[in-house]
Amino acid sequence: MAETDIKSRKDLLDIESLSLAEIEYLLKTAGPFKELFRRSVKKVPTLRGKTVLTLFYEPSTRTRTSFEVAANRLSADVTNFAVSTSAVVKGESILDTIETLQAMRTDYIVIRHGASGVPALIAKHTKASVLNAGDGFHAHPTQALLDAFTVREVFPETQKKKILIVGDILHSRVARSTSRIMRKLGMEVGVLGPGSLVPKGRPDFMNAFWNWEDALAWKPDVIYLLRVQMERQEQQFFPSLAEYHRVYGLTSERFKQVEGEGLYLMHPGPVNRGVEIVDEAMTYERCLINQQVENGIATRMAALYWLKPEEDQG
Amino acid sequence: MKAGVILFKGGQVATEDSPQLKKLDVLVEDGKIAQVAADLPIPEGAEVVDCVGCVLAPAMFDMHVHAREPGREDQETIATCSEAAINGGVTGLVLMPNTLPTIDSGGLLQSVLDIAAEKSRIPIWQAGCITKGREGKELAGIAGMKGKGAPLLTDGGDSIADAMVLLRAMEYAKRFDLMLALHCETKELSGKGAMNEGQVSYRLGIPGIPACSEEICISRDIRLAQYTGARLHIQHLSSAEGVATIRRFKEAGVRVTCEVAPHHLLFTEEQIGDYDTRYKTNPPLRTAADNEALLQALAEGWIDVIASSHAPHTEFEKNSDFGSAPFGITGLDTAVVSLYHHFVKTGVFGWDVLVKRYSAEPRRLCQVEPVPIEVGGAAEFLVFDPNRKTWFSKKFMQSKSSNTPFLDQELDGQIISVMKDGEFLLNR
Repeated sequence: MAETDIKSRKDLLDIESLSLAEIEYLLKTAGPFKELFRRSVKKVPTLRGKTVLTLFYEPSTRTRTSFEVAANRLSADVTNFAVSTSAVVKGESILDTIETLQAMRTDYIVIRHGASGVPALIAKHTKASVLNAGDGFHAHPTQALLDAFTVREVFPETQKKKILIVGDILHSRVARSTSRIMRKLGMEVGVLGPGSLVPKGRPDFMNAFWNWEDALAWKPDVIYLLRVQMERQEQQFFPSLAEYHRVYGLTSERFKQVEGEGLYLMHPGPVNRGVEIVDEAMTYERCLINQQVENGIATRMAALYWLKPEEDQG
Repeated sequence: MKAGVILFKGGQVATEDSPQLKKLDVLVEDGKIAQVAADLPIPEGAEVVDCVGCVLAPAMFDMHVHAREPGREDQETIATCSEAAINGGVTGLVLMPNTLPTIDSGGLLQSVLDIAAEKSRIPIWQAGCITKGREGKELAGIAGMKGKGAPLLTDGGDSIADAMVLLRAMEYAKRFDLMLALHCETKELSGKGAMNEGQVSYRLGIPGIPACSEEICISRDIRLAQYTGARLHIQHLSSAEGVATIRRFKEAGVRVTCEVAPHHLLFTEEQIGDYDTRYKTNPPLRTAADNEALLQALAEGWIDVIASSHAPHTEFEKNSDFGSAPFGITGLDTAVVSLYHHFVKTGVFGWDVLVKRYSAEPRRLCQVEPVPIEVGGAAEFLVFDPNRKTWFSKKFMQSKSSNTPFLDQELDGQIISVMKDGEFLLNR
């Protein structure tokens, strides 16, 4: 495995607090893990005897499974802590949950929660390493890492490359974390979406576009489509899904242009076909969606490998 | 020693009229100020308080306080709240009616006053609700509450969404000469917001409350007051836009007053950092430019009153994720010392601003006599030593809660004694 010249951290909560060197280290570490998947035995003994607890307050089969596979391949014992996802879980109960977790003496906690800042709160009160698997609108750092790893596979040199993020910039933790990691890797970041979903408070490094024509004229190298959250339509952030598709979706016509210029396509999944993306784009050879899923396991292994619970800190 | 005769010797007296402190001795006899003059001789048998290097200022009056009793005695009680006030040099309080139950009738109001009479060493005024249950729909028992001495009406913590309800309340309350103190927030705009809207809220992924939420409501409420001729007071201003609007209407001669809380002068959204819930308050902390505008308006006299918005919450409640944690910062223990440390000591404004805005004006607005340090007046003042320091430990603070950013901070200056009617309420 990669040399440990970068000091371990206890928690992975967001992208903002990671240095460029730490990000590069994580991306470099994920490489050999991915190679491991080509072998018949896909497991390494790194975390043997360690326990990983997944704690998902929002339903997410994909991310949780990805973490579970990653932990299994590092030989850790994985437990899924069943929490009620039906009702809104209030913050108050979290502190009580932390007490329970602390008593279980788990080494790693993977948490997803609907409220921003909950992983940070848990991290403050537990000795275990906390991995944020998505909190509210705030952050989704392992998604950002897998996205960066995927971009690096097609562009080993990311300096000055351009990524255009399309969709709900206001509510998306993916937009926040992925834009920031790309920025840290020297890329230029453009955003495109309905005026009601691209907020004034966005960071200065985001170049905002309001239509596809201007956005494509900016010459992006990668187009990153965000999932349309169906409930936003009910809140009237845009008039209808049909209008969203027509104005902000990757339509057949726009896809032809994307294909013609050989641009790469990414999406955090799961996709709404016919809303943010047309069917035919899914089979485009430069559509990186499946690669993103595979890379998710490798980068999450890298994260688990790098983090050290408080009791293991030298 | 002759009982009831106390000479405060060698101190400097603060007034609301001038930033210049005057080196005067103050003689208190039988609860009244008997003499104020330079180098007073020591009367035989008098107790002498050495005030060399200290400031004597009229005791403060806080017209925006949440004592949480009845209903949330785990957060604060009238007893602990009044002790926090004394600890901070405050000798009169107006309590907000958003308790459990809400104070919306004369009977309920009297029940709070009965508790206060038993538990508090300082006078307490209880504000009444404008609408029943603070629901913004039906008028509360206004005449009954006026009869029990309510100094003002407020639905504190909530704005009245329905403009017609507010207009009727103004017309009705006006005939009882009752001031309406309003929290201004356009609910549709603030929504689920938990902090100021901007780059910090975007970074943290916390829904934001735009400054225009405050300003639009202020503008609407002043127009209604202008139309009805009601006495209107805007509570805890937070934005440059809000104070600019008030100034514009004041210049046009509309009868409106307003207040600012120390935390809106001292802190910004940036200090929330990584979800520090001690900085979660409503209206939210905004930007340095907003603080600057509020500070300037205070210095120029556009802001009438300083009030703490003292809002205690338990450690457990605040030790939650930012979105779920309750809004509010405590302020009674800390207001005078923090304002001295950050503004008076640094020369941003003088003691006159503190005396006028936190002692005299709020009393006048609530139809209570101010307490200047003058011959014949009530002996109701504090002695402040700028050369000592105050360490705001949990033990030091008398409030039951300590949800303040000043917790465990040391600031310059200390209130060493508080006198009321010739008695030391506090003597360190």
